[in-house]
Amino acid sequence: MSTGAANAAPVGIGLRQPHYAALIETRPALDFVEVHSENFFADGGAALAVLHRVREHYAVSLHGVGLALGSAAGIDPWHLDRLARLVDRIEPARVSDHACFARAPLATGIGAPIVHANDLLPLAFTEAALEIMVGNVEQVQERIGRAMLVENLSSYVSFADDTMTEPEFFARLCKRAGCDMLLDVNNLMVNALNAGVADPLAACRAFIDALPSEAVGEIHLAGYCEADTIVIDDHGSRVRPAVWAAYEHALGRFGPVPTLVEWDTDLPALDVLLAEAAQASAIGARVASR
Amino acid sequence: MNEALRQQQLVAALAGDASHSLELRGSDARVARGLEAYRASAASIAERALATCFPTVQAMVGVENFTHLAHEFRAAAPPERGDLGEWGEALSSWLAAHAGLAAWPWLADCARLDLAVHRAERAGDAAFDAASLGLLESTDPAKLHLVLTPGSAVLASTWPIATIHRAHQLEGDAAERAFEAVREAIAAQRGERVLVARRGWRAVVHPLDASTAAWTCDVLAGVDLAEALARAGEGFDFAAWLGFALRESLLTGVVASYD
Repeated sequence: MSTGAANAAPVGIGLRQPHYAALIETRPALDFVEVHSENFFADGGAALAVLHRVREHYAVSLHGVGLALGSAAGIDPWHLDRLARLVDRIEPARVSDHACFARAPLATGIGAPIVHANDLLPLAFTEAALEIMVGNVEQVQERIGRAMLVENLSSYVSFADDTMTEPEFFARLCKRAGCDMLLDVNNLMVNALNAGVADPLAACRAFIDALPSEAVGEIHLAGYCEADTIVIDDHGSRVRPAVWAAYEHALGRFGPVPTLVEWDTDLPALDVLLAEAAQASAIGARVASR
Repeated sequence: MNEALRQQQLVAALAGDASHSLELRGSDARVARGLEAYRASAASIAERALATCFPTVQAMVGVENFTHLAHEFRAAAPPERGDLGEWGEALSSWLAAHAGLAAWPWLADCARLDLAVHRAERAGDAAFDAASLGLLESTDPAKLHLVLTPGSAVLASTWPIATIHRAHQLEGDAAERAFEAVREAIAAQRGERVLVARRGWRAVVHPLDASTAAWTCDVLAGVDLAEALARAGEGFDFAAWLGFALRESLLTGVVASYD
């Protein structure tokens, strides 16, 4: 099942529960679907059965939101076991999660219980944070028996004592841990807008150009919303024109890497999401034809 | 700054601790709006996760009150795992101890029932081993154990939890009549026992009498068939229970232990 020209970027959509039935019934042409790994960690049940059925017809990529790869407190062994079991069950095309932390003690002191912040909290771009990321990514890759992809965040705060740029952090992470980067182009735009840069699209292009050309193994696209004084990466609307432009630039630099359109809040009809995927395919075909 | 300390301080700052020494980039206003964005996101995610797991509790207290309760509960018993489907075990005891909910003493047991339903629907899938039923004819009952569908659980309450749960599954006139029955059962403080067990993909809540509840607890605890029958007494109708267990896909098989 393919959406476009042989040398164009494969395109998929994020599959969420309200679209399960429509996807299975209509089986639209998609190169892959992506699901949130944690939604399928249960021992059994309906969701897992649906995923097995989807897997019969589509390549599936597993995208996590809870591994907390940058946590100084380490990876939760329970979480890693569940992910490894799911990887064995589904045989996904790709496995990914975020360059963030979430596991930390609420208080200082030995023995303070570790909580999970159930969010994607930002890392400092320092040597020490890089060491933690490399160690944790290597641990996950060893357990699941394959290389993974690590996604850049939309960050609402950043640290004043960063010692390297974000592209440098990812370039070194990928080289040392043997992982790929999952480049979320929408997150680049959200960060540029929240930083108040004069030309957000130029900032996104500069970020893309600063990455090694071989580092990116998947691209994410999504919509954002503008609140009063902040831009939120809510995955609740169509991809914005400037993000499409940054995406086209990214394909020109990285080649036809698999591309996902995400939509997580205020989910529209499946056809709307498929139209977004078709637009990604059209851009991919245009770039491939150059 | 040490990364472990930085991360601990950011998590604490998001939980409301203003004493951190984080050096965050940008104006105070920009930092404040950024921290607030994280707080709002995490609160929203947590509320949705709890509402998915505890729909009856949410329906009883109302969406707005549930939002406040979810926020309070997250502060009191934050998630420890990255899968929020696993979060909420402590909600029942937390609700029971909540001074503001003293007028709704049945709420905690309704939360226990919601959690049992949630867990049953996430439990492993078991195939029915029809051939194993032949062991009931051929093998000493003292060597036999009945196996129930994974995730099955028995709950007992001093409140009418089955009646309350059922009322929240209905709509229209049927719901009105069911809620009238709820009011009467609460006024009479009628306790109920239930079995939660999966039928297909959905968990079903079965009201149980005292003897069947005790029997089911024995079966779930792995008591052998001979002893379970002896404990159930002569008044217990095993054939009738077996018919129910097969109709409801509760029994997945029989295993023999030879020692």
